[in-house]
Amino acid sequence: MSKSFFVDTTLCTACRACQVACKQWHDLPAEETKNRGTYENPADLSFDTYKLVRMREEVIGGKLKWLFFPEQCRHCVEAPCLDTAGDASAIYKDAATGAIIFTANTKGMNVDEIIESCPYNIPRKGPDGTLAKCDMCLDRVQNGLLPACVKTCPTGAMNFGERADIVALAKSRLFAVKKANPKAALLDTDDVNVIYLVAEKPSLYHKFAVASNAAFDITRQVALRRMFTPLTNIVSRLL
Amino acid sequence: MTNHWIDIKNSDCILIMGSNAAENHPISFKYVTEAQQKGAKVINVDPRFTRTSSRADIYTALRSGTDIAFLGGMIKYIMDNKLYNKEYVANYTNATFIVGKSFKFKNGLFSGYDSKKRKYDKSKWAFAMDAKGVPKMDRTLKNSRCVLQLLKKHFSRYNTKLVSKITGTPREDLLKIYQTYAASGATGKAATIMYAMGWTQHTVGVQNIRTMAMIQLLLGNMGVAGGGVNALRGESNVQGSTDHCLLWHIWPGYLKTPRASNVSLDAYNKKWTPKSNDPLSANWWQNYAKYSVSLLKSFFGEKATKKNDFGYSWLPKVDDGKAYSWLDLFDEMYKGSIKGFFAWGQNPACSGANAGKTRKAMERLDWMVNVNLFDNETGSFWKGPGVNPSKVKTEVFMLPACTSVEKEGSITNSGRWMQWRYQGPKPLGNSLSDGDIIIALGEKIKSAYKNSGTFTQPIRNLKWDYLTNGEYDPHKVAKEINGYYLEGPKKGKLVESFGKLKADGSTSSANWLYCHSYTEKGNMSARRSKQDAPNNIGLYPGFAWCWPVNRRIIYNRASVDLKGQPWDKKDWVIKFAGDVKGGKYVSKKWVGDVPDGGWYPLENPDGSKREDAKHPFIMRKHGHAQIYGPGRADGPFPEHYEPLECPVEKNLMNKQRINPVAPIYKTKADAFATCDPKYPFVGTTYRVSEHWQTGLMTRPQPWLLELQPQVFVEMSEELAKLKGIKNGERVLATSARGSLKCTAIVTKRFKPFKIAGNTVHQVGFPWHYGWRWPESGEEESANLLTPSTGDPNTRIPETKAFMVNVKKI
Amino acid sequence: MKVTRREFIQITGATAAGLAVSGLGFDLAPVKSHAQMLKTKYAKETTTICCYCAVGCGAIVHTSKRGDGRVINIEGDPDHVINRGSLCSKGASLKQLTENENRLTEPMYRAPYSKEWKSVSWEWALTKIAKRVKETRDATFKYKNVIGQVVNRTEGIASVGSAAMDNEECWIYQALMRALGLVYVEHQARI
Repeated sequence: MSKSFFVDTTLCTACRACQVACKQWHDLPAEETKNRGTYENPADLSFDTYKLVRMREEVIGGKLKWLFFPEQCRHCVEAPCLDTAGDASAIYKDAATGAIIFTANTKGMNVDEIIESCPYNIPRKGPDGTLAKCDMCLDRVQNGLLPACVKTCPTGAMNFGERADIVALAKSRLFAVKKANPKAALLDTDDVNVIYLVAEKPSLYHKFAVASNAAFDITRQVALRRMFTPLTNIVSRLL
Repeated sequence: MTNHWIDIKNSDCILIMGSNAAENHPISFKYVTEAQQKGAKVINVDPRFTRTSSRADIYTALRSGTDIAFLGGMIKYIMDNKLYNKEYVANYTNATFIVGKSFKFKNGLFSGYDSKKRKYDKSKWAFAMDAKGVPKMDRTLKNSRCVLQLLKKHFSRYNTKLVSKITGTPREDLLKIYQTYAASGATGKAATIMYAMGWTQHTVGVQNIRTMAMIQLLLGNMGVAGGGVNALRGESNVQGSTDHCLLWHIWPGYLKTPRASNVSLDAYNKKWTPKSNDPLSANWWQNYAKYSVSLLKSFFGEKATKKNDFGYSWLPKVDDGKAYSWLDLFDEMYKGSIKGFFAWGQNPACSGANAGKTRKAMERLDWMVNVNLFDNETGSFWKGPGVNPSKVKTEVFMLPACTSVEKEGSITNSGRWMQWRYQGPKPLGNSLSDGDIIIALGEKIKSAYKNSGTFTQPIRNLKWDYLTNGEYDPHKVAKEINGYYLEGPKKGKLVESFGKLKADGSTSSANWLYCHSYTEKGNMSARRSKQDAPNNIGLYPGFAWCWPVNRRIIYNRASVDLKGQPWDKKDWVIKFAGDVKGGKYVSKKWVGDVPDGGWYPLENPDGSKREDAKHPFIMRKHGHAQIYGPGRADGPFPEHYEPLECPVEKNLMNKQRINPVAPIYKTKADAFATCDPKYPFVGTTYRVSEHWQTGLMTRPQPWLLELQPQVFVEMSEELAKLKGIKNGERVLATSARGSLKCTAIVTKRFKPFKIAGNTVHQVGFPWHYGWRWPESGEEESANLLTPSTGDPNTRIPETKAFMVNVKKI
Repeated sequence: MKVTRREFIQITGATAAGLAVSGLGFDLAPVKSHAQMLKTKYAKETTTICCYCAVGCGAIVHTSKRGDGRVINIEGDPDHVINRGSLCSKGASLKQLTENENRLTEPMYRAPYSKEWKSVSWEWALTKIAKRVKETRDATFKYKNVIGQVVNRTEGIASVGSAAMDNEECWIYQALMRALGLVYVEHQARI
């Protein structure tokens, strides 16, 4: 049984503590940003930013909504990035938690393909070509602590635990939220370990709120590489 | 806060108005969310749609500076529909009091107005007294001169049509909110208000809050769980620093700063000790002299004796009728009369209204001492934008303070909880704790006065023994704040609680409100028990400590009926549990929170009155909460007045455009513009989640600057179109006082208002920035735009409503 | 009563899951992370209350016991009954407030008409400030006001601050200012 996150966007206040807590725990540097006519910042995920709260203003049914979407790696159940890399020393799945972990060995790999393979457009390349993204705060989780973003969340928007418990929580929240928001939905529940609850159409929150089909298309190169890397794949499954 | 943070979860309806809790007190939303999930309605009223609005059940906008009109409409709604809690109102508030004949209200003015002095003669608003000197009352509430009837009459003008014209809020929104909120008038229901500077920073700031306090009283929401009037205070220890009265008009524990006319300690105590002739009034302030004398004993120790009036004459006196507030202070500094200046953990070059005036004023100082964590716009004012250092005479000392995690001591949160914190790392570099700096400076000053100087007694006699092994010891001060027995069998022991303080010099207490915080049982503020009280409403009486005497919900005697039983059977705060014999209470016992005075309830179970009881609002002279408030500078009832700078020629509610007693300052730097085409838009200031106050403790932090890197102005899409402004571009904002370059955020979250048929645009600025950080020097303070006028009671500046222009650069 | 120590999060050394794979010969440390062993493991733990808004959230400060003795990590205190481990963005950045290269670490002095700061010692700064206080106070001290009432005050010196100070510091601060005869004593609560 893996661990999962439940992100209840209906409780998120976009305080962005999760963004800072992530940087704090991981000792990640700040980026130089500009105000682009929105509170949302930095403009995108990066090698130094694993978590980013997307903020969108939408008029829905004549009412203004400010939609918040704390974006992060979904730690996919079957992770395309892992398959694409095909090298468990670079990208592996932690057996105990289901965390998809990028290591320093991603440097020099087919990083653009790995990025392209992600249905949620998450991994980002560093200046030296290493890839980085959310690591589920594996060190914390292995030591019985919550991931930094979950621990710091004031309202219960961020949740973490055993997958079965998290799925149950997500379903019960969906049931409650649906009463007032018929469009409410859980996103890609079966495929990911980071389950989002949204009250409106997912694409209004963020382009990559749900898995993008385009990103799932496996390029020829990727398919080829897979053929030549059976061993490492097996290793990764063993993990 | 009359209540506290966790208690928000007990509410049935939460009004967030004059604050932006989700952004500025994010953790409060833990409890707002909890209440909401249990079915509470969350209402948010704000000129612009915020992160708080995004989570509200009902959101509506109002034009900045029109809150009294909005809330006055609610009072009318409550009165018209008889939704007030009659039993509560008739017994616990002054709604029943008969007002004297000289009280009148006409054309926006209360009786007693002196237009030359811009001042009221408040004696005209007094209550009618009976032969014993107790206010005349009509518990049936029918007398046409009783407060409730006068209130009804006063607010009869506040119909939704007129209110909507003034506020710009649609009538249907007004009605929906009035209806939802007023439902808490039902017995057992509670509604709360979460407000902050959105209400205080106005020329009608005090009356904004009073209007809401009156609503809370009408609906029986004071003293109960999930109710109260809750100021969301903005700084970690602004509550404690206010309790210790770092303010001109009060001494520690909210004692009065002596006036020049208080010629002796006796005269001082007499003047400020209220007298009640009602045997049922506890009139708690009758203990005034016990607190003032104990305070003087803490100031001067053994040097304070009965013979020398405990050193009363050594402390400064202020002139009667004169204000020495922030606005007055910088007005005097601007005029050149202030020569030396301490800016201690504060950044006035960015924080106060009309920052341009403040900065200019600093150039006239001989010397300044600035204590801070970072270099800042105040300490370095002499090299700020447009300032030529070679023309500035001011000598400046910048002293490095350490951060809160580098020292030990206590702070008091908005819910009045005093909490102890410990030292992690040592102070960085050669920085020192404020405590060490104050003690060392005090010693230097004492030694400078050792052999010479003017009026040396207070300096030489000031008790200054707070060192342990050569270092400042916060425990020693914390104990002094609690107070000691100085004579008798317990000599040298810490006083158990303020009920034991004496006016004869036999006790000390540097702040009577905190007496009970550090006793022979130990440091109460360091407690960590997670055990809740039996009523299970989140009081956590064994976690930290709160004033007064660990009472978590103040005015809690109003949470019970006349027989001492809670209005709300489920979320009760206290209840009387004494033995009953023959329909009478025969023993005294309260359970739950620490009751507001442990007297018997007003009635026995059989309905007979008790003579050993007290009215519940024990801090009020007459024991009743004040729906009618004759002590305020601007009237016993709130009235809508426009901000000093406003977009309308006329106040639609009455013939006075602005608050007739608002202070007006007259230097060259005090420019104002109303209905001036040069400044056509309403402006307001606010905060964002990612920065704090002037930003001095957040702008030097890359992680926070990453999230909110630049000062901005938010405006509607309609206004942006009108001015040809594109989202994300730099624009220039101007007011009669200054200008500010900022980034435009063009947003659906601001909408133009329809005010009396005209379109009025509003814009808003965060006030977190200043030229020193970020190092680009391009991000400046929004207070360069704001006006130096303020509330006539508190003189808090009107930075929430003023007039501006914005244009492309 | 002894000061109650908080019930800190119990951090175990459980690292089995992560280390088990090391036999494969790969460096499996996640990028930028400190997998397996917590960076806070050997740190001193103290509780604090957040220094920003007045909610009064509890936080745990992890200070290095070795080397420079500086802060490694600050996060929400799960045993604090108000915030129960959570913190907002500002609270989450507390470490960067303390461990910040922009901080002042020496007293500084700017002479009249000077264009720059210079570092000075505490002894020099405090002695000079005391001298200035005495000069200004004594030159502006008023025993009586214009109508002859005893006032014993100075209007020549003003002081503002600070809601950022601890209670105990607030008390001694105001005592010193009032003993000097200041009446212009104001702070954040007024604005």
